[in-house]
Amino acid sequence: MLRVDLRSRHPRPVAGLALGLAAVVTVTLVLLPFRSHISRASPALALVLPVVVAGVFGGRLASIATAILAAMAFSLAFIPPVGTLRVAVSDDAVALVVFTVVAIATGTLVALEADRRRSAEQRAEEIEAMHVRFQALVAEQEQLREETGRLAVLEQVDAQRAALLRSVSHDLRSPLASIRAVATDLRAGAPHTEPIRDELLGLVCDEAERLDRIVANLLSLSRIETGALQPDRQAVALDELLGAVATRLTRLFDDVTLDVELTPGLPLLDIDYVQIDQVLTNLLENAVRHSPPGSAVQVSAECAGRAVAVVVSDHGPGIDPSETDELFEPFRTGGASTSTGVGLAICKAIVEAHGGMITASNVPGAGARFRFTLPVRHG
Amino acid sequence: MDSTGELVLVVEDERSMSRILATSLQARGYRVSVARTGQDALDRCAAEDPAVVILDLGLPDLDGIEVCRRMREWSQSPIIVVTADGAEDRKILALDEGADDYVTKPFSMPELLARLRVAVRHRKAFGPFMDDALLEVGDLVVDTADHQVRLGGRALELTPKEFEFLALLARHQGKVLTHRNILQHVWGPEATGRTEYLRTYANQLRKKLQDDPASPRLVTEPGVGYRLVARE
Repeated sequence: MLRVDLRSRHPRPVAGLALGLAAVVTVTLVLLPFRSHISRASPALALVLPVVVAGVFGGRLASIATAILAAMAFSLAFIPPVGTLRVAVSDDAVALVVFTVVAIATGTLVALEADRRRSAEQRAEEIEAMHVRFQALVAEQEQLREETGRLAVLEQVDAQRAALLRSVSHDLRSPLASIRAVATDLRAGAPHTEPIRDELLGLVCDEAERLDRIVANLLSLSRIETGALQPDRQAVALDELLGAVATRLTRLFDDVTLDVELTPGLPLLDIDYVQIDQVLTNLLENAVRHSPPGSAVQVSAECAGRAVAVVVSDHGPGIDPSETDELFEPFRTGGASTSTGVGLAICKAIVEAHGGMITASNVPGAGARFRFTLPVRHG
Repeated sequence: MDSTGELVLVVEDERSMSRILATSLQARGYRVSVARTGQDALDRCAAEDPAVVILDLGLPDLDGIEVCRRMREWSQSPIIVVTADGAEDRKILALDEGADDYVTKPFSMPELLARLRVAVRHRKAFGPFMDDALLEVGDLVVDTADHQVRLGGRALELTPKEFEFLALLARHQGKVLTHRNILQHVWGPEATGRTEYLRTYANQLRKKLQDDPASPRLVTEPGVGYRLVARE
C-alpha cells in the first residue's frame, strides 16, 4: 500500500484523508489512557503525525482536512472540558489555534514537498523512458546498417553469379557447337572418307573431354564455395603426374609442342593427386589456348626451399598488365571470345589449400609464365 | 584435296571449330583458308579474294562487326556471319554492315553448307556487281527498266511500293536484308521503325507470287528481315 502510494503519479485526496482520519483516531485512542500523566504538548506533537501522513499521500486538501480533524480530536480528547469542543482556559485556546496553524502549515509543506518529489520522479521516469526509446532507435539504426551491408554483399554475390553463368554458358557452348556441327554433318550422310570421318570423330571426343574438364572445374568451384576443398594428401612423384596429364592432353598439343624439363632427383610431393592434376590441366589448357601455332609450351620444376616450384610458360601474347590483379579472380569476363572461365581461380584455390602460392608474370620477350609451389613429403 | 574448288575464308578463333570447318569443307572440294584474328582475316581477304567468308563475330582482337564493315569497304565476297545464340542484335548489325547471311551457333553443318552453296552460286551468277536491269530469280523476272514483273512468263500487277520492295530483294537475291535496310530503301530514312509496313507488303507480295507457304520465294527471317530465293 505504502509503496503503491509512493509511486503514484498524483496525490489521492480521498485515500490520504482516510489514512489521516485513521491515524488521528489511532493516535487519540493510544494516548487517551495516559491523558492524566502527560502534558498537552505530547498529544499535540503526536497529532501532527496524521497530518504529515495525509499530506504525503493525499495532497494539500487532505492535509488541511486532517489538520482540522486533528485539532478537533485534540480539543475533544485532551483539552478540558474533555468530551466537548469547548475550550475553558485561554491558554488552551491559544494552544489549539497554534496547533491548528502549525498542523496546516506542516501538512501544506509536506504535501508540496511530496508533489515536488512526485513530479521529480515522473520526470526521471520520463527521461528513463526516453532513454529506452533512444536505445531502441540506436539498435534499430545499427540493424539497418547491418542489413544494408548484407544487401550490398548479396548484390555482389548476385553479380558474380551472373558473370559465372555468362562465362559457363560461353564455355559450354563452344564444345557443344563443335559437337553439333560434326554430328549433323555425319547424320546427313556426309560422303567422308574413312580418315576424315576418324578425324572428325576424334575432334568430337576432344570436345567431349573439354566439356568434362569444364564440369570438373564447376564441381571444384562448388567445393571451394562450400569450403569443402580439403586436399587428400598422398606421396606423388611429379614426373609421373606430369606424364599422365601430358598423355591425356596429347590431342590438345596438335600444333603446339610441350617441353617438360624437370630437375633430376626431385623429392616426392605431399599433394592431392586429383586436385594438382586439375591445376596442371587448367594451366596447360590455358597455355595452349594462348599459344600461336607451332610454338612451344614449357613446363619446368625445381626445388625451392622446402617446396617444389613448377613453372608453366607459353609464347602467346602474355598477360595484359591491367588484368594481372584480377587474373585469379573467379567469374571475370574476358574478351569477346577467348574464354577465361574459372580455371585459374580454381588453380589458385587448390594451390593455396596445399599451403602453396601461385603467381603470374610475363616472360621478357613474349608469353605468360605461371609459377606455383607444392609441399614436399617428409619422412 | 581438290585444289580447284572455291576458296572459303574461315574466320574463327576457336581451334576445334576452325578444324572441323576446314576438314568438312575440304572434304566437299572447297579450298579453305583459316584466320584466327580479325586482322589476319582482313589481310587474308585482301590477299586471297575468297569466294565466301565465314565470319565468327566473336574474335579476340577486333569486333566481328568492325571486320564486316572494313571488308565491305573494298571486298564483294559474300560474308556469312556466325553468331552465338541470343545475340540477335549483333546479327542484325552485321547484316546492316553488309553481311549476306548468318547462322547461329550451335549450327547444323548441312544448314551452313546450304548457305555456303547459295552464297557461292550468287557470286558466280551475278559477279561482284548486281546492277543489271533484268533480275532473274528462278522463274521470277524483275525488269527494273520497264517496272515489270513476270512470273513464269505471266505479267504481275504490282503497286509501286510492292515493286520497289521486290526489286530490292531481287537485286540481292539469296541475301538476308534487314527490316531497317528494306524500310530505308523503299520507304525512306524516317520509316526505319515501321516494320508493320513490311508484314503487310510481304503478305500482299506472297499472294501475288502465289507463294507456297511451305517453301516461299519471299522468306521471312524472324526478327531479322526478309530474303528472296529462287523456286522453280
